[in-house]
Amino acid sequence: MGASAIRLVIGEIAAGRSTRIIEEASRGVLLGRDSFSSSGAIRSETIDAAVAALENFRRIIDGYGITRVHAVATSAVREARNVDVVLDRIRHRTGIEFAIIDEAEESRLVFLAVKQALHRRAPLRGAWTLLTEVGGGSTSLTLLHQGQPNRSAIYALGGIRLRQQLGLRRLAHDVQLALLKRSIANVIDEIRVDNPLRRVTQMVAMGGDIRFAASQILEAVADDDVREVGREAFLAFCDQVERLDEEQLVERFRLPDVEAETLVPSLLIYRALLAETRARKLVISDASLRTGVLLDAAEPGGRSGAEEFEPQVLASAEALGHKYRFDRAHGRHVAVLAMRLFDAFREDHGLGGRERLLLQVAALLHDIGLYVSLRAHHKHSQYLLAASQIFGLSNDDTAIVANIARYHRRGPPQTSHLPYVALDRQDRLLVNKLAAMLRVVNALDAEHLQKVTSLRLRRHERSWILEIDGAGDLTMELLAAAARADLFADTFGQPLVIRRRSGDA
Amino acid sequence: MTGPEPAEADRYINRELSWLAFDERVLEEAADVTTPLLERLKFAAIVASNLDEFFMVRVAGLRHAIADGDVDPDLAGLTPAQQLAAVADRAHGLVDALYRLTFGEMMPALEGYGVRLIAWSSLEASQQVALSGLFRDEILPVLTPLAIDASRPFPLLASLSLNLALLLEAAPDEIDPRLAVVQVPPGLARLVPVGEGGAFVLLEAIVSAQVALLFPGQTILESAVIRLARDSELELDDEGGRTHLELVERELRRRRRSSVMRLEISADASAPLIALLRTHLEITPDDVYVVPGPLDLRVLMGLADLPAVDAPRDPVHQPVDVLASVDQIDLFSLVEERPLLLHHPYDAFDPVVALVAQAADDPDVLAIKQTLYRTSVGSPLIACLQRAAERNKQVTVLVELTARFDEERNIQWARALEEAGAHVIYGVRGYKTHAKICLIVRRSPAGLKRYVHLGTGNYNERTARIYTDFGLITTSPAIVEDATAFFSAVTGYSDPPRLKKLVMAPTGLRRRFLRLIDRERRRAQSGQAAEIIAKMNSLIDEEIIGALYDAAADGVKIRLNVRGICALRPGVPSLSENIEVVSVVDRFLEHSRIYAFLNGGDEDVYLASADWMTRNLDKRVELMFPVEQPEHKAKVLYVLRAMFRDNVKARWLGADGVYRKREAAPGEAPFRVQTHLQEESRRLASAPRGITFQPEEHEPPDRAKGSTAPLPGSRVP
Repeated sequence: MGASAIRLVIGEIAAGRSTRIIEEASRGVLLGRDSFSSSGAIRSETIDAAVAALENFRRIIDGYGITRVHAVATSAVREARNVDVVLDRIRHRTGIEFAIIDEAEESRLVFLAVKQALHRRAPLRGAWTLLTEVGGGSTSLTLLHQGQPNRSAIYALGGIRLRQQLGLRRLAHDVQLALLKRSIANVIDEIRVDNPLRRVTQMVAMGGDIRFAASQILEAVADDDVREVGREAFLAFCDQVERLDEEQLVERFRLPDVEAETLVPSLLIYRALLAETRARKLVISDASLRTGVLLDAAEPGGRSGAEEFEPQVLASAEALGHKYRFDRAHGRHVAVLAMRLFDAFREDHGLGGRERLLLQVAALLHDIGLYVSLRAHHKHSQYLLAASQIFGLSNDDTAIVANIARYHRRGPPQTSHLPYVALDRQDRLLVNKLAAMLRVVNALDAEHLQKVTSLRLRRHERSWILEIDGAGDLTMELLAAAARADLFADTFGQPLVIRRRSGDA
Repeated sequence: MTGPEPAEADRYINRELSWLAFDERVLEEAADVTTPLLERLKFAAIVASNLDEFFMVRVAGLRHAIADGDVDPDLAGLTPAQQLAAVADRAHGLVDALYRLTFGEMMPALEGYGVRLIAWSSLEASQQVALSGLFRDEILPVLTPLAIDASRPFPLLASLSLNLALLLEAAPDEIDPRLAVVQVPPGLARLVPVGEGGAFVLLEAIVSAQVALLFPGQTILESAVIRLARDSELELDDEGGRTHLELVERELRRRRRSSVMRLEISADASAPLIALLRTHLEITPDDVYVVPGPLDLRVLMGLADLPAVDAPRDPVHQPVDVLASVDQIDLFSLVEERPLLLHHPYDAFDPVVALVAQAADDPDVLAIKQTLYRTSVGSPLIACLQRAAERNKQVTVLVELTARFDEERNIQWARALEEAGAHVIYGVRGYKTHAKICLIVRRSPAGLKRYVHLGTGNYNERTARIYTDFGLITTSPAIVEDATAFFSAVTGYSDPPRLKKLVMAPTGLRRRFLRLIDRERRRAQSGQAAEIIAKMNSLIDEEIIGALYDAAADGVKIRLNVRGICALRPGVPSLSENIEVVSVVDRFLEHSRIYAFLNGGDEDVYLASADWMTRNLDKRVELMFPVEQPEHKAKVLYVLRAMFRDNVKARWLGADGVYRKREAAPGEAPFRVQTHLQEESRRLASAPRGITFQPEEHEPPDRAKGSTAPLPGSRVP
């Protein structure tokens, strides 16, 4: 359920075969027009339209005897003031239960779909590739470096949102265009700060409006899932289309009204992004959020977690560290030590792959607060992380990582710490465990010299012994680690004794 | 381009006159002495029937335009009033020719086989007595005489019904003779047999002879048979059906319904009677057709269909069952292996029925979705769909009840389907659903399977024996996905989808055609060979014609096989020298729509439910589908090119708007395309499997711009 339409994809999932799309349907419902308006609430008539669309989808679904339905909603519903009412009415009347997904989850699902769609093709391999999808409410960007997500972010830039915010309805067409272009340029300025768009040589575009443009530009009757449009051809098409008002678009292209509303703003956004890059062509993929949801549902054993994307998450985390000029050698070293400790300790803490990855990211980035100030930098790390998007991590995941980083030094978690108490009980416990480990291994590189090279854990009856080894004098590291083992003992119930491994051990 | 630009009006042929030109070609077939006599009668009956529709629909349209004060010229530069005058002139000539042929040649010839229509006066006295008895017992009870005077206006006689108009002697206290009307009962057979063998008296002749019984004590001065064609308030489509005109307001419609477009009257009527009728009916002398013989020559079809008549007729056509030589009868696995292309009526329609029947009976079939534009009453397809619905399959039927909605029998089967549990949709709002498509969804151990039938003609096993149409049964993934999306869209479950292989009107078909034409043009501009070959029923759309002219001027060779109306004017210097237009009128009604584009040698070949008519492209839900299998492409192209090889039943349209047969070159054997294709399909059916059509070697398209080579049609003196 997006800002301008509700879309359905039906797939056939069978063991041993790749997931096959059986049917796709969509119905234009301008949820975003309501939720991006000044009232910010989705009106009753719009909810009825959504329900009617979903009742029809329900008939399609039932025609196949389908039992598993995954339904997700994005920005237009997420941002609606009356989101709970909307979802409750839909559930009550159609039996379809929607989950609200956050930006990070959206990026991850879209990437999942793109990866699958482009898996046989070269584009993702380029030095810098921009994946973008312009929707009715937001524009998602993911920058790939050597095929791995480096950064990803979602910007509040979309056709329906712009129309509502700028109040375009009653303005003359040329005034609308000028306003749209200026607003888009402002957001592009912001995007440029965060992303090295100039280095991008490949651009992959997704979304209904760009697919429509491709179908008009390309002559070949392509049934390909991936198509390519030359830069010049695309720019020429944009020039041609931007002159047409909605009525003319409907007349000329026989577009549904809803699509006529978003086409021009969307193409202006794609064009503005393309202009920032060095890409010679647009690669247009049929991949979409909904195919991502389908692929995710098709994963054996249920939905795939963040750990499935470990390389992408780590690449994105490093890019974030780079942005805040972190000491990469230190971050990586602490991460390596943290993984050793985590693994050595696995049977005692009972945590899994996702938690391991969260610790790894926190270890890499725990010091980014130094970018703001030397004083209380752990607190700066906390809020910088909390406000960042790391590809593949949900908002909940990122909040945990921020808290782990927060407690890598100084005082342990307390109920007076708001970001900490904002977590639910399970997650607070997780923060305690992971922060306890991070504090110790960070202390083991107190001098940022990466002297400690090995770790071994020995279990004794009433304590754990952590034996370390490395180059040169480790006195400083041993002292620092001993001082930071406090949270460890509190959390796991037994003291952790740290000592240098003896020669015969 | 060189030379002066042709005047705008000379670029196009008037649509109404082109319609009449088609009827003239059909009449030529009736006149062709090499055609078996009974087939000639059928052609004459078709002309009569076409003319009825022409008056009710096209002439009515012109009248409305004039009444609305419309003086805008059409593409060919004629105002509605000018068109009406030209149409009247041409139609009178056509009717005269029809009667001359029918009663000057065909009926006398038919008498040689014992079949004749006998006038009342020529009957023997005993026969007259017998028929008078019949009149009193069976006809008289259903007759209602209608007298007309100041207090009783002229009755609203049913369009196309036969009536007697009578002039009665003036009442004692009046001066003028009185007018009365008696309707000839439409429920009784018009051909009344007399004696043994093939002699018949027409029902109206019996009524006319005995009509005095209805007016006791009054003197009948004269009587004449009359027949009116009224504004039908219907639009005709190319499949002989009628669709309601939209956007005509109710009141306007009611007023117009009474307006008369044509009066036919028997030649024995006096001038005063005709004048009186004209006054009552508010028509001009041009609208009166005085005919030297029986009215309503559709009756000739009845004579031609008499089983016992020994006169020459075409042998009964036996379509070839393409599945006869196939061992397995499991159509599903057959078409999974290879898609099946059917060319009706040469190939039988049976596989299409068999597919739906098998789907109805297969427990693994989940759903059947189908469009039914115009189907036969008692159609086996409907029985299959009903059975499927009763077995709890999801059956979705998109019905276009275009013949008058209250037509009882149409409603009946639709209701029966609904009662069986099918989801019946009565059309898409604002658009007529003209697409011909059927989708079957089936579970299998290897996953969901889908089968699609697409066609150029209706799901009607009866017309499939006399109309030429193509059909394709396929499991091509892109096509089945598109078909699924199509049905979700037309059932209103989804917005119109972006399709991969199929092209749909009103959303994308017009633009696709324009782009395909323009692509050939650009190839020609860059010096490549470029050619468009297309076959359709009618070519009227201005934008398409303009694109064809542009392409032709840039060197694209364009060959058009247009059976009926063609507004494009071929062979005009510096406009359309590269375009030829051929019409084939023969035993089977040419109905398939084929569009082929050379595309630099990698030909794009499409089949469609749509003609190049504005109505099809903008006001209908239509589908076009690509022919992809190389052997199918070869077959369709073979058929398409063969249409232009015909030197027996084909006529070339000249720049002067006249259709002429092509003279066979010296030594050239006669080639009749429908006969050839019939033989070809039989030959292939009896051949061992594996033989396929080979693409015919054809000369490369003429690349010289502005070629002055005469078109075949222009060689005719």
